[in-house]
Amino acid sequence: MKASRREFAKLVTASGIALSLSRLALANEPGFAARETLPGRQRWNPAATGMGRIDGVAKVTGAKLYASDFRAADLPGWPTHTAHAMLIRTANATHIYEGVDLARLSGALKPSVVVTAADLARIGARVPKFYSGDLFCPVGKTPLYLGQPAALLIYESFDNFDQARLALRNETLLKFGAETGPVVERDYGAFRFTRVAGATPDAPDVYSPVKDGWVSPGFFQDGGGPIWARLPVPTGAAYANAASYGEQIRAELEADNPSLLVLDREFETQSVDPMFLEPECGLAWYDADRKNLELVLGVQSPYDAATSVATLLGNARANFKPAHINAHFAYMGGGFGGRDHTPFPLYVALAAMFLPGRPVRLSQDRYQQFQGGIKRHAFKMRTRIGVDRATGKISAFAADHVLNGGGLANYSASVAAVSANAAIGIYDVPKVDVTTVALHSRGVTAGSMRGYGTLQTMTALEVLIDEAASALAIDPIEFRRRNALKTGGRTMAGNTYDVVVRTPEILDRLEKHAIWRQRAEEKARGRRPGSVVGTGVACVTKDYGSGADTSLSSVEVDPKGRISIHCDHVEMGNGIGTALANRVAAHLGAVADEVAVAEVDRFGALGLVTSGDSYTMDQATQDAAQRDPRWVPAISSPTSSSIGAHVGTHSASEAARVIFRFGLWPAALELWGLAPTDPRAAKWDAARWEQGRLTMPELRPLPLSEIAARAHARKGVTGAMAHSFSRWSWSKATFAIGGQPWTAEIDALAVRKSSGKFVRLDRADVKYPPTVFNRIGTSYTSLCGALVRVEIERDTGALRIDRAYTVLECGRALTPEIVLGQAQGGFAMGVGYALLESLPLYEDGPGNGQWNLGQYLIARGSDLPRQGLEIDVLPPLPNDPPKGMAEVVMIPIVPALLNAIFDATGRRFHALPVTQHVLKGALT
Amino acid sequence: MKFAVLAGVVGLTTCVTSDCQSATLATPESFAAISDAAARSAALFAELGKVLTSPRCVNCHPAGDRPHQGELGRSHQPPVERGPDGRGLTAMRCPICHQDANFDPGRVPGHHEWRLAPRAMGWEGKTLGDICAQIKDQSRNGGRSLDALARHIGGDTLVGWAWSPGFGRQPAPGTQKEAGALVEAWINTGAVCPN
Amino acid sequence: MTTVRMRINGRAYGPVKVRDELTMNDFLRERLGLTGTKFGCGAGQCLSCAVIIDDPDGTSHTSPTCIVPAASFNGKSIRTVEGHAKNGELTALQRSFIEHFAFQCGYCTAGFLNEGQVLLERLAKTPVARADLEKTIVDAFDGHLCRCTGYFKYHEAVRDVILADPGRYLT
Repeated sequence: MKASRREFAKLVTASGIALSLSRLALANEPGFAARETLPGRQRWNPAATGMGRIDGVAKVTGAKLYASDFRAADLPGWPTHTAHAMLIRTANATHIYEGVDLARLSGALKPSVVVTAADLARIGARVPKFYSGDLFCPVGKTPLYLGQPAALLIYESFDNFDQARLALRNETLLKFGAETGPVVERDYGAFRFTRVAGATPDAPDVYSPVKDGWVSPGFFQDGGGPIWARLPVPTGAAYANAASYGEQIRAELEADNPSLLVLDREFETQSVDPMFLEPECGLAWYDADRKNLELVLGVQSPYDAATSVATLLGNARANFKPAHINAHFAYMGGGFGGRDHTPFPLYVALAAMFLPGRPVRLSQDRYQQFQGGIKRHAFKMRTRIGVDRATGKISAFAADHVLNGGGLANYSASVAAVSANAAIGIYDVPKVDVTTVALHSRGVTAGSMRGYGTLQTMTALEVLIDEAASALAIDPIEFRRRNALKTGGRTMAGNTYDVVVRTPEILDRLEKHAIWRQRAEEKARGRRPGSVVGTGVACVTKDYGSGADTSLSSVEVDPKGRISIHCDHVEMGNGIGTALANRVAAHLGAVADEVAVAEVDRFGALGLVTSGDSYTMDQATQDAAQRDPRWVPAISSPTSSSIGAHVGTHSASEAARVIFRFGLWPAALELWGLAPTDPRAAKWDAARWEQGRLTMPELRPLPLSEIAARAHARKGVTGAMAHSFSRWSWSKATFAIGGQPWTAEIDALAVRKSSGKFVRLDRADVKYPPTVFNRIGTSYTSLCGALVRVEIERDTGALRIDRAYTVLECGRALTPEIVLGQAQGGFAMGVGYALLESLPLYEDGPGNGQWNLGQYLIARGSDLPRQGLEIDVLPPLPNDPPKGMAEVVMIPIVPALLNAIFDATGRRFHALPVTQHVLKGALT
Repeated sequence: MKFAVLAGVVGLTTCVTSDCQSATLATPESFAAISDAAARSAALFAELGKVLTSPRCVNCHPAGDRPHQGELGRSHQPPVERGPDGRGLTAMRCPICHQDANFDPGRVPGHHEWRLAPRAMGWEGKTLGDICAQIKDQSRNGGRSLDALARHIGGDTLVGWAWSPGFGRQPAPGTQKEAGALVEAWINTGAVCPN
Repeated sequence: MTTVRMRINGRAYGPVKVRDELTMNDFLRERLGLTGTKFGCGAGQCLSCAVIIDDPDGTSHTSPTCIVPAASFNGKSIRTVEGHAKNGELTALQRSFIEHFAFQCGYCTAGFLNEGQVLLERLAKTPVARADLEKTIVDAFDGHLCRCTGYFKYHEAVRDVILADPGRYLT
């Protein structure tokens, strides 16, 4: 459902710029690729025995790993000297920008190069569509948003750069004229999701987004906001139809009906910063002689970054148009969504293009990261919920969401759609009507951040559910159980989930937990004089995936049985490298000792091409396109939407299965002396790996090294490269391998025999998920419930989390310790969002360039129940795939805290964060 | 000047230039019109109070054991505690960051005696009258006589830091010399506390 | 300009001239290429840039590097994340961090490692009671920010090293 970027791939071709990720020549210093391949041959691999991550040793020894660690001198073949650039961003978005006061940049402060909007126009730079809006504010315009860059200054020496950045720590460099007020732009996206279920659970829906399509209002008021009402005009029939049903639902909620409990509540959430610890940074070098642009970046969306830079420069004047772009993607110091599709790489590339021949580093300090980094959307929500008093069942739900999208569109439209589809959480509601609109504002751009949109709407929902339960005097967990959507039930888009919905088990665990059972006595007893105690519960379900998710991987086994894995997904702490190694180990019997992630263009052997937009494509277009066996709906996805385990490791897993079936298994048969005609030869899926040996009943266990050596000797398949695509369901295709058909959930495959080259295999009978699946909100979902007990001091408003419990399900956990770590980290981020973190939206907010961690408080160790948090992971169901869980674990923490605060104080808070100051004000 | 206007427009709460100008202090002479000595004395202290209640002073004269920072007196980050000698706990000692002088590139203030005022000298949240009573009380002012107090406020270099607090901080009103003159005039008029 | 000499991970650096405005963080990262010491906030508020200073009296403490001048390190002896392992042999705390999956992105790890190492060395000299251990760990680590983990496993990792050798670290 995310907004499309597919057209860029075409533009790259049109621009004639080749994209690559070649390994750098090895000099004395290890090259970038060698540094980023972990743990590396002959090095201790903690993951081999489950005793740590593949990147464990590198990270505790301070190895160069992150984009911010690299200077030109660290990279073989690069010039040794690094120049430094800084972005000058505006803290004013209400006055006409009149230019840079260059007179202030004299002496040591004088940059070698100043890049402004005029320079971009001069060279013919082209802003990629996803990042539409001026990359630099042109003179004569009011800045589009706070934090919009106005100029890029490049200094050839670090000392001059350092002196200049100190001298320029205020805005006097930028000149402004007349006041215009903020720039008014149209909204980024507006949708209405309306569903009316059939009379019985089995009956088809009367109306739903899946059945009738997604609709947006066609009319807008003067200020840019949509008109939601069904207007009496003959056009826009699809919208009018949805609006008719929606208005009926709202009329029912407004009717004077004593049998119905109706709650009508507003809820506001704040803007926050992902606050990944490594500020955005990049290094670039344009070798004008070779017309080669080298980039070192740390982003969640490497494919987008490379193609966007190609788009930016694809039409540029000769001196500003590289022939090749060689992009290197590094490990990241955190991401949380905030490094997915950020415009930062564009500026890194520009810095290099404007100082050709010299490697240039562009890095933000924390003030600049607050000023320019992607934020989470602030929401204003109004929700009406109707519950039948007799049955305690929710009968109708209507909500209106307004999102503050900040200065650039970025993911705003997608956030609006995703958040609306999450608005009824775990519940089965027969009548739902949700409108949502993401608005432009002069605030810092909001985009992707962990649990985007769903965190906001499900927090509002779970607080409302708590209130409804208490208004009806029904136990909150029983109320949830009564209304929970069951497996096979329909989401508010009108589809069923593709996975088992395990809400009952989650609710049972919550109900049985001591924190819940002892809530009344703990509250009655209190802790100490002057303090109150309360317990809160919440339970949510969260999609993983975006509706067009891909991964690219290759797996290779050498004659000694050592495994190498390459993958296009990126490592930002999520443990993708270790998850890849563990998932492949299930098929190949050993943990890889070379894992390279964030590699976009190592998969040339597949010869993939793409066209169109997989999110909006019609069936006929897809049917026609897929006849080309090299065509795929999308080539590479960002690492986002919790897809690491499910999608990120999927292609590697499928590649490993091919190696096993067509390389290792035939070799093992030979070693066992079994003829291909032996009935056991067909039982390859009955073999098991035990402690690095392949076992079959009554046959000698074979070590991987022995099998691998034989596989190489007999020229079997020892390497496989695969691409996979999911649109709420995997694509499938059949390939002929060694004359045998092989059907798998992949859409492209290449294999390597012995130590030969990868050879692409044409697919037959490809089955892509139908394009109508684009109407699905989500079909993949995982669950998390939380209990929190808080103690609040009445006089000071100080809140202490006494105990907490989280229970989640994520299918088969690839690295259980990392799942646990994500759940703990999600808890901490939930605490920060609920109680601490807040950014003013406009002039007194981060766009003014004055924000740092002194004002913006995230959870510290002392804010958390360090020994009082218990986490349960439900055991996987048989054949459960790995499911995404990194976002869902954060969400219930927030409403559980608010519900606990209500239990303790009797006050319901409808705006975040509930700080100590807010609590003190409410309690005294 | 343009910056000042813009700062008003954008509502900056911190002082982002290195030459931030702060509020001024009235001279002792300007209180001559108040004929009643006690009232004049109290008025002099009230003027001095502009200094005492400025963030530069209150941030390190907190009510509890943790200092504040910035113009809004937010909690010090990272969270530090007074410790037995007013210079922090073992794991986080004040002088590690707050060295002998301000270090403007890091926006960090410094002085060789950087520390929290003793707990008894906490001013945070108190009225000017309370602060006045406290400041005169030798059991709560570090055993200082009134003369010693005048020397402390008018001449102590750690107190003097408040008027040259470095990048990003608004100096205390007036000058240390002017503040010292107010203290002396206040003492000379009977050191009367405002209500 | 100030001429400085210092020892970093046992190796002598300098004499070398540094600008008085140069932060220790930039000296390490830009001048010496020692990028294991991170830059997080530049305001001394996250401590991902902390290094260990070994004082002449045999005690050690951590210091942020982003808000202090390189010149102030003249004559000092420091340790950074790059200097803990000797000849490829990880320290007990480094192993414990790995085995507990203490970090995720790893960007705050150098700061936590340095702080934890100083804590271990301090406790070896002045042990604390078991009952005071949790508060001791919280006090030591509370200045350090981590956005990925929620701190739980960092605390467990250092606690386990201490509890594995109670005679050394606890009274």
